Amino acid sequence: MATYEEYIQQNEDRDGIRFTWNVWPSSRIEATRLVVPLGCLYQPIKERQDLPPIQYDPVLCTRNNCRAILNPLCQVDYRAKLWVCNFCFQRNPFPPQYAAISEQHQPAELMPMFSTIEYTITRAQCLPPIYLLVVDTCMDEEELGALKDSLQMSLSLLPPTALIGLITFGKMVQVHELGTEGCSKSYVFRGTKDLTAKQIQEMLGIGKVAVAQPQRGAPQAPIPPASRFLQPISKCDMSLTDLIGELQRDPWPVGQGKRPLRSTGAALSIAIGLLECTYANTGARVMMFLGGPCSQGPGQVVNDDLKQPIRSHHDIQKDNAKYMKKAIKHYEGLAMRAATNGHCVDIYSCALDQTGLMEMKQCCNSTGGHMVMGDSFNSSLFKQTFQRVFARDAKNELKMAFNATLEVKCSRELKVQGGIGSCVSLNVKSPLVSDTEIGMGNTVQWKMCTLTPSATIALFFEVVNQHSAPIPQGGRGCIQFITQYQHSSGQRRIRVTTIARNWADATANIHHISAGFDQEAAAVLMARMAVYRAETDESPDVLRWVDRMLIRLCQKFGEYNKDDPNSFRLSENFSLYPQFMYHLRRSQFLQVFNNSPDETSFYRHMLMREDLTQSLIMIQPILYSYSFNGPPEPVLLDTSSIQPDRILLMDTFFQILIFHGETIAQWRNLKYQDMPEYENFRQLLQAPVDDAQEILQTRFPMPRYIDTEQGGSQARFLLSKVNPSQTHNNMYAYGGDGGAPVLTDDVSLQVFMDHLKKLAVSSTA
Amino acid sequence: YQQNSVTQSGFNKLWGHDHFDLLQNPNVLPPEKVAPPKVYLGNELLDSANCSPEVFRCTMTKIPESNSLLQKSRLPLGILIHPFKDLTHLPVIQCNVIVRCRACRTYINPFVYFIDTKRWKCNLCYRVNELPEEFQFDPVSKTYGDPTRRPEIKSSTIEYIAPAEYMLRPPQPAVYLFLFDISRLAIESGYLQSACAVLLEELKSLPGDARTQVGILAYDSALHFFGLGEGLSQPHEMTVLEIDDIFLPCPDNLLVNLKDRIDLLTDLLTQLPTRYNNSYDNNSALGAALQAAHKMMGATGGRVSVFQASLPNVGPGALVPREDPSQRASTEVQHLNPANDFYKRLALECSGQQIAVDLFVLNSQYVDMATISGISRFSGGCIHHFPLFKASRVLQNERFERCFRRYLVRKIGFEAVMRIRCTRGLSIHTFHGNFFVRSTDLLSLPNVSPDAAFGMQVSIDETLSDVQSVCFQAALLYTSSKGERRIRVHTLCLPVCATLSDVINAADQQCIVGLLAKMAVDRSMQSSLSDAREAFINVAIDILSSYKMSLNMAEGPTSLLAPPCLRLLPLYISALLKSTAFRTGTCTRLDDRVKAMIDMKTKPLGHLIQMIYPDLYPVHNLEEQPIVLNSEEEPIPQPPHLQLTARCLDSKGAFLMDTGEHMILLVAPGVSPMFLSEALGVRDYMSITDEMYELPVLDNLHNQRLHQFINFLNDEKPAAATLHVIRDNSPNRIEFYERLIEDRVENALSYHEFMQHLKTQVK
Ligand SMILES: [Zn+2]
Ligand SMILES: [Zn+2]
Repeated sequence: MATYEEYIQQNEDRDGIRFTWNVWPSSRIEATRLVVPLGCLYQPIKERQDLPPIQYDPVLCTRNNCRAILNPLCQVDYRAKLWVCNFCFQRNPFPPQYAAISEQHQPAELMPMFSTIEYTITRAQCLPPIYLLVVDTCMDEEELGALKDSLQMSLSLLPPTALIGLITFGKMVQVHELGTEGCSKSYVFRGTKDLTAKQIQEMLGIGKVAVAQPQRGAPQAPIPPASRFLQPISKCDMSLTDLIGELQRDPWPVGQGKRPLRSTGAALSIAIGLLECTYANTGARVMMFLGGPCSQGPGQVVNDDLKQPIRSHHDIQKDNAKYMKKAIKHYEGLAMRAATNGHCVDIYSCALDQTGLMEMKQCCNSTGGHMVMGDSFNSSLFKQTFQRVFARDAKNELKMAFNATLEVKCSRELKVQGGIGSCVSLNVKSPLVSDTEIGMGNTVQWKMCTLTPSATIALFFEVVNQHSAPIPQGGRGCIQFITQYQHSSGQRRIRVTTIARNWADATANIHHISAGFDQEAAAVLMARMAVYRAETDESPDVLRWVDRMLIRLCQKFGEYNKDDPNSFRLSENFSLYPQFMYHLRRSQFLQVFNNSPDETSFYRHMLMREDLTQSLIMIQPILYSYSFNGPPEPVLLDTSSIQPDRILLMDTFFQILIFHGETIAQWRNLKYQDMPEYENFRQLLQAPVDDAQEILQTRFPMPRYIDTEQGGSQARFLLSKVNPSQTHNNMYAYGGDGGAPVLTDDVSLQVFMDHLKKLAVSSTA
Repeated sequence: YQQNSVTQSGFNKLWGHDHFDLLQNPNVLPPEKVAPPKVYLGNELLDSANCSPEVFRCTMTKIPESNSLLQKSRLPLGILIHPFKDLTHLPVIQCNVIVRCRACRTYINPFVYFIDTKRWKCNLCYRVNELPEEFQFDPVSKTYGDPTRRPEIKSSTIEYIAPAEYMLRPPQPAVYLFLFDISRLAIESGYLQSACAVLLEELKSLPGDARTQVGILAYDSALHFFGLGEGLSQPHEMTVLEIDDIFLPCPDNLLVNLKDRIDLLTDLLTQLPTRYNNSYDNNSALGAALQAAHKMMGATGGRVSVFQASLPNVGPGALVPREDPSQRASTEVQHLNPANDFYKRLALECSGQQIAVDLFVLNSQYVDMATISGISRFSGGCIHHFPLFKASRVLQNERFERCFRRYLVRKIGFEAVMRIRCTRGLSIHTFHGNFFVRSTDLLSLPNVSPDAAFGMQVSIDETLSDVQSVCFQAALLYTSSKGERRIRVHTLCLPVCATLSDVINAADQQCIVGLLAKMAVDRSMQSSLSDAREAFINVAIDILSSYKMSLNMAEGPTSLLAPPCLRLLPLYISALLKSTAFRTGTCTRLDDRVKAMIDMKTKPLGHLIQMIYPDLYPVHNLEEQPIVLNSEEEPIPQPPHLQLTARCLDSKGAFLMDTGEHMILLVAPGVSPMFLSEALGVRDYMSITDEMYELPVLDNLHNQRLHQFINFLNDEKPAAATLHVIRDNSPNRIEFYERLIEDRVENALSYHEFMQHLKTQVK
């Protein structure tokens, strides 16, 4: 048998899934005692080159309240042409077209290697995706020029059949009519007024078909009502290219000491309303480009007086963020409307100051849309990132799915507690819904208005059985994930993943269970839970919760003698977990005061959607060291790794930093690399740059690239991440109210671990 | 007594005061043009310096010395002024100091009294003023000398280029904004094609300088703005759907420099006529469009030209139909007054920002002229009306195009105010025309046009027995389209008289009719149409009674005497009673009536008289008529004026009726074949089609004379009149015959019956 490590990797590769526990406790009470909840990270449309193209509908269990999909875990009676549902044990006849099946002649969905399989529903209408550009024009010429270039470029990256629309805004909001001849045309709305979808529908005359007089000759071909605003790219790319090219800066004068009046909230509302009344429940993408904060109307986050800075975390903490609550309410309402209609919202925010991402975040978080944060539309960070939105797979299809719903079915021993990710609950009640909620619960279905292959949702499960009636050993629990979505080609597709795990009695066989612990999955899942809490709770409580959970896990799975910290040991598959937690609690996800609220929202947004590998990098950055002594090697994220003769490459997900040690920096400044005799030095310098490029080429969003050296001002980005093992500040304290264990923020890992051991082994903690 | 009467009559004849028996002599109209009576000041120099009656005219050429004398005459006292009339000779002077009375600010004029070479006495308030040194200097001849050489003293009409103190702000550029109704009715009328075509042709002829700005705004349920910004390859239409609280979609590029953006404007005007062909929008948000225009023009002021084809039925100032078509012939007329004060209030706001709004109404249905005209009436605008307009109707379209073309290229004054002063003892009290009265004698005219006229009523407050003459002075301060601040001053001087006979014999009947018509419009609005009609009749009765009293002699049972200078008054009054404005018993659309009333208030007197009582000429024998030479030495035939009665027609003639904007050439069946072939260029009588709207240019005397005559008539008009040649047996003949107002029309009295009615009333 393979190691757990291999098993976990295999499962991830095949099914896009990582469970916190790969052996499941057989009773409810034991499950809760595991501290880290039973849950998984699931990538609904993880890229799979090897999936067979299946052009028929899945076969469903005939039991009304089950409707699970035929899968390799089902028992099949080939003679009777029956299959037994592995969720409800219903015996189902195969449909007539399966008459020819036999043990030797199985349909793909029964083969174990296709525990994840994808159906293409050919009878469903093929819908072209819809892209609605919402463009802020309150920016300087250079910024707007760069943005226009990117927008024009994007037209060539979109499928020609895709529908496209354009809304621009500044003080006013303009909805542009496309494909006009001779005279471009837009509808102009006041940026201070919110409009309902119904109002927009009435005002724009969508659905209102003009009646021609009979004597005016032949009746005109009926035009789809919204086609004036949303047209196939193939029909309007020339005129739209011109239109974008002629976009001008918002013409309204901006007084001295004033911000431009920017109607982001109204513009987004109109965009969402326009889609709502034209293409409800069809995949669509609102792509909003933002050069500053909304300063008037609905969704306003700041006023136009430059003397009044936009809210900081301190302002929020002191309840001194005048516009925040109202703005959040506005954008949350929009997010909900967009999500309900299957439309996603991307926000590309490029500005030196905040633009209100904090207030708007739900628009991206609820719909799966991208949130991209940069300084300038003229930066490679934005340009490359934006280009990557339109990345294509091996079949030359956009890596972008629309209007998806994820449904979870599970064995009767399990219930669904909830999910955390870039989605909304569809509030589908089911007997499978647990009473205890984690994240978005009370449902077995979630809507994801857009998905990328890396999009990952965290799901949480409850073991139902009471301790008195545990699940018999040897059985397996099953979970099925059914993702229905609109493929970028327009096809309706259904991706099905069915998995099973063994049950184990935790009282008797805790080592079976602990051996199946996936510390990486656990770290990411706990991080999502912590951030989900942080979004609603006050931060200190979240930190306290993270600590408490860590201590409890250590108490449960550590080996130690009571009150003897030195005796504390963790088995290998737990050993990295405390470190992850150490870095998590120091991270920008939970420590907000060094960042702006917008940055915090952006960081958290990424953590809530990325896959496990990327999330782990976010939690605990990776540090590589380059030297003459051999190939680059991963080193501890610790000050001790900073050496004069080394080059460090740090990947925090958001930043790629190359740090030159003191000596290396000196040589570099003396231009040794340009001298033929120091070719190896040149190669040493180049190696991390090449490696960084590799990451920069693939990462979404494109990270910030930093090149610095010992003593360089940007070295602070490295110093803020490494464990301060050699700083003067190795003192620590603990205590806090009510005796709950609290660790101070800036302690070294060593101190943290010492203290953790102490608390874990303490008989009083 | 008999003897005395004979002597009296001889005396009157001697003075040209012969009476005229209206009952005995139906041929009341003189064959030649009715000339305005001359003003005699007893000084040839002053007489020749006096203001042209075309510009400034009083209802009497002599002013009664007291109010009681005026009352005895029963004549109305008032002045009519056409202040910005196109003039062929206008002295323009530029000087550092404009000489004005220090007390009453009267401009120095030919009628002041020079006490010596250093001082002058104001002829309005009698204050003695110093004469500035430089006044002796003649800027024209560049020499010093007698002040009376100065153009200010030689001419009653003069224009100054104003120095900086006459400016509240630097002169603004000429700004023209065009508002196009694109509602369904508007599009169906086809006007947009014609309007855009004319505008396109005349864009470069718009008065102005390098700074001239132009903008275009269209409206139906929504407002359609057009951005014509720099760098655009095509116009950008911005539609604003929220019309209840109007806002501008962008702060600039809606009004653009004509020269810089001529290409975009041309592009837009080329597209506009067909752009809304398929929108079928039944609404017209005029009010919102005007509010937007007000916002667009606020900073500079300027001219807004509105083309309205349907009832404004949505948004601010929305209206509902008020006219009951079944009541169009009734004796009482409802709804002559506005339905709301939206348009008036907005007009006053426009006026405050130096914006005038002109209306071109091209309606096929009721548009509530009474209400929407407020936007022009109070902003110093003008109103043109093309009822039942269809561009496909050649004649209508022709008339519209000519009118619009003239409108576009005619002179225009911006940011104007006009002040009327008069000699102490007189006062001006009721103003007629399109303006806003800013203070007692100051009219605010955001735009002033060469086709706009005004009327004022005058009262005598103090006795004038100690003065020889009185003066009225109108000063029009405006910014020319070239950005110059200018002042045009007109001064009218009239002698004072002491006897009733003098007063009556000094009456200016056309001017009286002009003033009465204006007063009657007010009466119709404030009281009722029947009151106004009654007042007209009473004026005739009163004046004739007063004359009878002044004659102090008995009239025969079959005679009704009038002084020669007033002999046309009853004719004009009877015509007024049958005019579109004041008639009853004839089916008259409310909008047409209101427009006719507005014309009564605003048309220059000559045009007004022609509208009330069109000119009729025999033209079948022009080559036999006497000839005068015009300034180009061309011979102009002078056929006699005919009265508007079938009695004057005969079956062998051709008759030209000139109503001002339109001419009808009625050709009787018995007209000579020579006239048909030579003058009209048709083979025979039946070859005159129902759509003959122009005359061919042919190389023969008949045709030349006819052209020369028609051109001569057109030369006096702001825009050449349209022409329709009609056979006497075509259904179109009604257009001609309905204007023969001396005859009985429907149930209205004929002229003769009207005279008999007056006879019974004159005491
Ligand atoms: Zn089942
Ligand atoms: Zn004076």
